[in-house]
Amino acid sequence: MKNVTLTPTPTASTRSFRRRLLGRGRDQAAADRAVLVLHDVTKVYPNGKTALEDVDLVIPEGDFVFLVGPSGAGKSTLIKLLIRDEVATHGAVILDGQDLAKLPRRHVSKVRRKIGIVFQDFKLLPTKSVWENVAFALEVTGTPRRRIAPAVDRVLALVGLTAQRAQLPAQLSGGEQQRTAIARALVHDPRLVIADEPTGNLDPLISWEIIQLLLRINDLGVTVMMATHNADVVTALRKRVVALEEGRIIRDEVGGIYHRVD
Amino acid sequence: MLTFVVFSLKRAWQGFWRNALMSIAATATMVLMLMLLAGFWILRTGLQAGLDYTESKVEVVADLKDKTKADEVAGITDRLVKLPEVDSVHYVSQEEALANYRASLEEQGEEDFTKYLDNNPLPASLEVKLVDASVFSNVVELLRAEPAVAKVKEQQTTVDSLLTITNVLSTAGTVVLFIIAFIVLFIIVNTIRLAVVARAEEIEIMRLVGASDAFIRWPFVFEGAMVGLLGAALTLGLLYIAAEPIGRFMVGFFTVLPLTFGTLTRDLVVLVAGAGLGLGILGSWLSVRTYLIK
Repeated sequence: MKNVTLTPTPTASTRSFRRRLLGRGRDQAAADRAVLVLHDVTKVYPNGKTALEDVDLVIPEGDFVFLVGPSGAGKSTLIKLLIRDEVATHGAVILDGQDLAKLPRRHVSKVRRKIGIVFQDFKLLPTKSVWENVAFALEVTGTPRRRIAPAVDRVLALVGLTAQRAQLPAQLSGGEQQRTAIARALVHDPRLVIADEPTGNLDPLISWEIIQLLLRINDLGVTVMMATHNADVVTALRKRVVALEEGRIIRDEVGGIYHRVD
Repeated sequence: MLTFVVFSLKRAWQGFWRNALMSIAATATMVLMLMLLAGFWILRTGLQAGLDYTESKVEVVADLKDKTKADEVAGITDRLVKLPEVDSVHYVSQEEALANYRASLEEQGEEDFTKYLDNNPLPASLEVKLVDASVFSNVVELLRAEPAVAKVKEQQTTVDSLLTITNVLSTAGTVVLFIIAFIVLFIIVNTIRLAVVARAEEIEIMRLVGASDAFIRWPFVFEGAMVGLLGAALTLGLLYIAAEPIGRFMVGFFTVLPLTFGTLTRDLVVLVAGAGLGLGILGSWLSVRTYLIK
């Protein structure tokens, strides 16, 4: 059922991805450089529902991956496994060399700091300003005060919100709110940014702005995984596409489009 | 570590005020529960003191034969006092007995018919106070063996029933106190849980950005401690205001008991503050547990 195709497309990230693969066994090279490896992952919920089945996935450093599939295909479960909100029933989820299933409970919070996560509904705190929302991620992880301000200023500049730093989320547009969320996701210098339907609540023009921002972050070397239903974006960008259906990966191709080509 | 403590205290303070309505509700519940606890405890302490006092009044009374000589009385008294279970021995002469009887008649508003008597029919007696009301058999035996003793009123049934009442009340009191503490914990946990649920979104964000359990838990625990201490302070304030009427009620209720309100107050402060703090901390600890890493 697995259909892994590596189509040669001349985008920067796939070129570097393929260059890294040259001269070495593919799996070995990928595993060495991978930010994320899923090996034979199955997730069965306590109610007996199988959300993921035999999922194999390797995401090398610097990759930009679209995760597509209908609702209930297992995208959310996959993301929950990555942040270890859930633990795989079988198989290994290896993030930055660490098997999440074997991770002691007290190390979970540290591993989560390697992942920046962005949601459709932004999840900003309404009583805190843009700056405070971003700083919050550092405060609650025990970052010393003197290191918080420069880090927050840096990511706000990166997402272009320096001018809005003192505003509350309610005073911002949807796009600005999502950029705040992205800034918060980046402030820990994550190894992987997961964007779960980041454009789901935004109009097409603003959606493109957010996608451009994610691409720019990717250009800076951050691995990005974006779950989306936005066919236009996926098809236009010709990035790697991983398609899930009924808990299985039915397609994994570089330079893919949203819908399957038969 | 310092960053963590400062962060937690700051967040607890902010959390308390940001959700002021919830905090007031939790504090009010805490005050009500602590009042209940304190009220019951005061009642129990008063009751216990009353029982102790009544118990201390229990005595063995021996009527003496007429014309018992003073040195005979002194001999019996000596022998009694040597027994470890005897607290004190009091000799009541015939004249004293008559005077006491007259006084009691007068108190009850009866006519003093003793004035029609030409001699004193009441015997002289020895009233023996016991250290422990339940240990009296030796005293009774000793008195029965004395030739000068006419009759021993051992009051066994009175003592027994009094002891039964004492035991039942103190056991039941302890049980009820525990039940109240349990109910209080349950209500407090639920109230604090509501405050935690109100901030579920914030907790979720904290988890997603990689906050450790300690950073999520301790602000709430400190907040719970704040609610507990504030509740305890308010309760003690109210009790302080109410102390005067309560004291009057207690004294009236237990008819001039040697209650020491000094120790009552100190114990009460410790009880209320301890219970408030403990319940607040335990309540938050249990409430926030659901939100931590699985």
